[in-house]
Amino acid sequence: MAMSDDLKAIEAQVQEGLRSVESPEALEALRVNVLGRKGSLTAIMHMMGKVSPEERPAMGQLANTVRTHVDEAIKQRKTELEQAALAMRMAADEVDVTLPGRQLTPGTQHLISQIREEIEDIFVGLGYTVEDGPYVETTYFNFTALNAPEDHPSRSAKDTFYVVDNAPEGKEAHVLGESDVLLRTQTSGVQVHVMEKKQPPIYMICPGTVFRPDTADANHLPQFTQVEGLVVDEGITFGDLKGTLDYFTREIFGKDRATRYRPHFFPFTEPSCEVDVSCGVCGGKGCRFCKNTGWLEILGCGMVDPNVFRYCGIDPEKYTGFAFGIGVERVAALRYDLPDLRMLMTGDMRFLNQF
Amino acid sequence: MRVSYEWLKSMVDVPENPQDLVAEYVRTGTEVEAVEKVGANLDHVYTAQVVSKKPHPDSDHMWLCLVDVGQHNVDEKGNPVPLQIVCGAQNFNEGDKIVTAMIGAVLPGDFKIKKSKLRGLESCGMNCSERELGLGSDHDGIIVLPPDAPVGMPFTDYRGLSDTVIDCEITPNRPDCLSMTGMAVETAACLDEDTHIELPSVKQAQGPDVHDLVDVTIDDPELCGRYTARVVRNVKIGPSPEWLARRVIAAGSRTINNVVDVTNYVMYLTGQPLHAFDLGKLIERDGKRHIVVRAAADGEKLTTLDGQVRTLTSDMAVITDDGHTPIALAGVMGGLDSEIDEGTTDVLLESAVFNPGHISRTSRNLDLMSEASIRYERQVDGANCASVAEVAAALFEECCGAEVCPGTVDEYPAPVPAPVITMRADRVRALAGARIPDEFMSKRLARLGCTVEPAGDGTFTVTAPTNRPDLTREVDLIEEVVRLWGEGDIEPTLPAARNHAGGLTVEQQRIRKIGATLRAFGLSETSTYCFADEGDLAKLGMSDAHRGLPVQIINPLVADQAQMRRSMLPNLIRSVAYNIDHGVTNVGLYEIGRVFYGGEGKSQPEEPTFVCGVMSGHRADDAWDQKYPEYDFFDAKGAVEQLLSALRIERVRFKVADPEQYTWLQPGRAAEVYANKGELVGWVGNIHPLSLRNFDVDVPVVAFELSVEKLLGLAKRELPYVEVPTLPGVSHDLAIVVDESVTCETLEQRIKSAGGKLLAGVRLFDVYRDPIRVGLGKKSMAFSLEYRAADHTLTSEEVERTHAKLVEKVLRATGGEIRG
Repeated sequence: MAMSDDLKAIEAQVQEGLRSVESPEALEALRVNVLGRKGSLTAIMHMMGKVSPEERPAMGQLANTVRTHVDEAIKQRKTELEQAALAMRMAADEVDVTLPGRQLTPGTQHLISQIREEIEDIFVGLGYTVEDGPYVETTYFNFTALNAPEDHPSRSAKDTFYVVDNAPEGKEAHVLGESDVLLRTQTSGVQVHVMEKKQPPIYMICPGTVFRPDTADANHLPQFTQVEGLVVDEGITFGDLKGTLDYFTREIFGKDRATRYRPHFFPFTEPSCEVDVSCGVCGGKGCRFCKNTGWLEILGCGMVDPNVFRYCGIDPEKYTGFAFGIGVERVAALRYDLPDLRMLMTGDMRFLNQF
Repeated sequence: MRVSYEWLKSMVDVPENPQDLVAEYVRTGTEVEAVEKVGANLDHVYTAQVVSKKPHPDSDHMWLCLVDVGQHNVDEKGNPVPLQIVCGAQNFNEGDKIVTAMIGAVLPGDFKIKKSKLRGLESCGMNCSERELGLGSDHDGIIVLPPDAPVGMPFTDYRGLSDTVIDCEITPNRPDCLSMTGMAVETAACLDEDTHIELPSVKQAQGPDVHDLVDVTIDDPELCGRYTARVVRNVKIGPSPEWLARRVIAAGSRTINNVVDVTNYVMYLTGQPLHAFDLGKLIERDGKRHIVVRAAADGEKLTTLDGQVRTLTSDMAVITDDGHTPIALAGVMGGLDSEIDEGTTDVLLESAVFNPGHISRTSRNLDLMSEASIRYERQVDGANCASVAEVAAALFEECCGAEVCPGTVDEYPAPVPAPVITMRADRVRALAGARIPDEFMSKRLARLGCTVEPAGDGTFTVTAPTNRPDLTREVDLIEEVVRLWGEGDIEPTLPAARNHAGGLTVEQQRIRKIGATLRAFGLSETSTYCFADEGDLAKLGMSDAHRGLPVQIINPLVADQAQMRRSMLPNLIRSVAYNIDHGVTNVGLYEIGRVFYGGEGKSQPEEPTFVCGVMSGHRADDAWDQKYPEYDFFDAKGAVEQLLSALRIERVRFKVADPEQYTWLQPGRAAEVYANKGELVGWVGNIHPLSLRNFDVDVPVVAFELSVEKLLGLAKRELPYVEVPTLPGVSHDLAIVVDESVTCETLEQRIKSAGGKLLAGVRLFDVYRDPIRVGLGKKSMAFSLEYRAADHTLTSEEVERTHAKLVEKVLRATGGEIRG
């Protein structure tokens, strides 16, 4: 039974040897010593033919068992060594995870255009188009077609930037320092451009830059941004105006905000109103931010005046509509409690990159 | 409009608390700017009771009194103690309720009440007469109050001298609300209450008829729709009675004298501006004064009440003395020469209406606003002139001791009828989107002063009051109904829209993409003013050729914003300077905006849109593991390339920009950007150091400016799909030494044309200069070439053969040599 002893001895040797093997190379040498072509176990397997036929099955089985054990033990040791090596490598690779990450530094979008796009997207979602018009506008589109009487105080040079008319022939400036051409004081003129070109139904907004001679200070800019809205269709009601602006207000300020409609006057709408949103700081109870009223004024709106429809060739008996104007800087100031609107115009990277 | 609550209370029943009315005003559309407590300044003056009254031991007419002022005088334990007061009045007894000014009170005339000794006895206050409190002329004795008067109440509260003023901002369409009677009617309509407005009339006219004293000629009824005149004689100029002064002050005026105060008072009461001329200062001819209303002559001069000499134009109307000398600027301000003064005895009162347009222009042209002009430019009710003159005459009689001459001169060339409007109740409901009952409509319109007659078929015939120029059409009445109904009570709905679709246009989406791409590149969006300084282009060294005429602002706020910009660059460079000045040295900004090119003979300019970027400093601060190079030409160029690529614009070329033309760019670091079939899109380059110096920037700035219209025109929705290679390619490096004059573009073109079909890619990966190893005036350019065939795996022989051929051709074409 010498062969079976040999087999057991080999297994024991391997187990012994594996315990001292510490590198993949040593492990490979051990494997070759036992299982290689000239290995000790291979040699025994070769001698199997010399074993008596009676013993052969049992011996064969034993040899196979030993071989399987040895094989598995080596593989297991190999895995152990590999894991140990990986663990060492990873330990060496450890970093201080509080070191700053590596970023691409994309630029930021200007706060006003962010809000402007937000407003555009809300109304696009309601099926509106986005329209545009000239900044240097005529008094006709900025005032007359919007039903502002010829000598209305709102046309005063205190409230409007007038520009030199390079084609003054046949026109008479009624007041010194005024002309027939101006920097638009409101985006409302775009309503007229659109209604002249298009028949109802009209569902549109016009975001854009407007100008008023207010000296720049914490709360005023001579150049700012408005979003004008106009809907003209059959059967449009004041309730539709409210529903639309309630939707807008909640989208832009939050679902929990309430609105308030205060009747007001604009030459191009009737009935007209100003819309307040409940103060987000105090929730409507009254605080310094809302000057203790609980409300913040956000926009003006109203039902399109029939005179405006007539100017644009739309039948005011068949169609009704509403219009509104939103101050984008106002929305920004309310949302961020901006201390000084002039920050919007300086290009200060420390300001711009916050948003 | 400053609305005195006490005054309003006399005309309509209002809630006890003014804040309740304010809430109603807000609900129905009268904007409230402020609510302020006002009142006679009679601090430390209280109602009191005489506890005891004994003769003064050292005087035969003075009394030593103990006066109870309740909690206002207490001992250490807080118990009320009567005051000892020495009093000279004779009209009171023990137990009488009186008015006492305590120490610390300051009575009208700056009369300070102090502790004093009268004939050796201490007096700790004063029992007051009406005159001492500024309430009237009665000084026969002290005020004795009714027995039920409380003790220790502030006298202003007791007498209702304290008042609340609601300061309302009246919209330009509501001239009626610039009067107390108008506000009373508006208030009554809001509250659904009755008004009780009582206006005084002349008690006893006397003397000659006004027609024998004055005649009036209106030259042009377009300027003046109605002119009424009355005369009052023998006025006694003096202070106004307390009640009148109080109301005039509450309304926002100073008191001047009783005559002027009456005209102001009646204006605040009725909304009709009045003017009082000193009759004695007007020229008399044929025993009469002759008022002529005419257009001013161009250049005519008038000294107005404020002492300013005004130069008039023919668009303005003047009141003249017999057609010659202007004595007032019609509807705006009186003349100094006919002003009421201490010596005035006879007064000519004007109650007239003038054309709103002319008044508005006059006021704007002279930069002169007055309470009168504010009302006239919003339209004054022509139907009312004579009745208002009657009210004023009655008050002259009552408050100035005047004798009112009988009659009114009244020139009223074309009386304006009250508008009659048909209103359909269903139309009201349809526009509102609310079920407003017919009864509500008719009732509230009537409260507003309309005459409302049902006309069958659900319509009403409504006659609007003449003081409401804003009510001429059905929709004007609908507005009134809706605002009184409450806009807040109308159910919100969304339009039941059909047959329409919205969305951003392709161009709008692409403009968003331009921004998104530049941000991804690392630039932040900014916004600068569309205004420019006249010298901006010159400062930049930019010629104004092809930039049109400047658009000049007639009324700029500041001199350096007197034009519209013709380039966005100056303001963007200013933003760079702003950042550097504030310690921010890494700046990367872009703006998408319009510039303005005016044209001769064109009212409106062209307004092309550009995208402009500026970069200065480093892309980012040094990090712990990497450093960022300073922005240079190739960063600006890279931004442009990335942008054009994002828009799928093809055949992009950069050509050396001509320094003669691109004078604001640094020669040698400036390029024109072309795309498609040689279309010029814009430029990119370093801003010229001299230009930067003019904007106080002394570090390099690189920039680009591209036409957005061009970009949108060239942009494509998609490019054709290119097969992803399945077969492996073979890479080969090639370093060629060429003269400096050979551009990268030339070399690349030569390589591509020499490479034939098998050359799948060319990428420059190194440029190396060394006078010894490469040679002076030369550079080594190293390319990585990739060879690939679409239909088979290349053999190395094929690659070698192709590459060798390529090298030979390129060297021949460029005069270069292979770097060893």
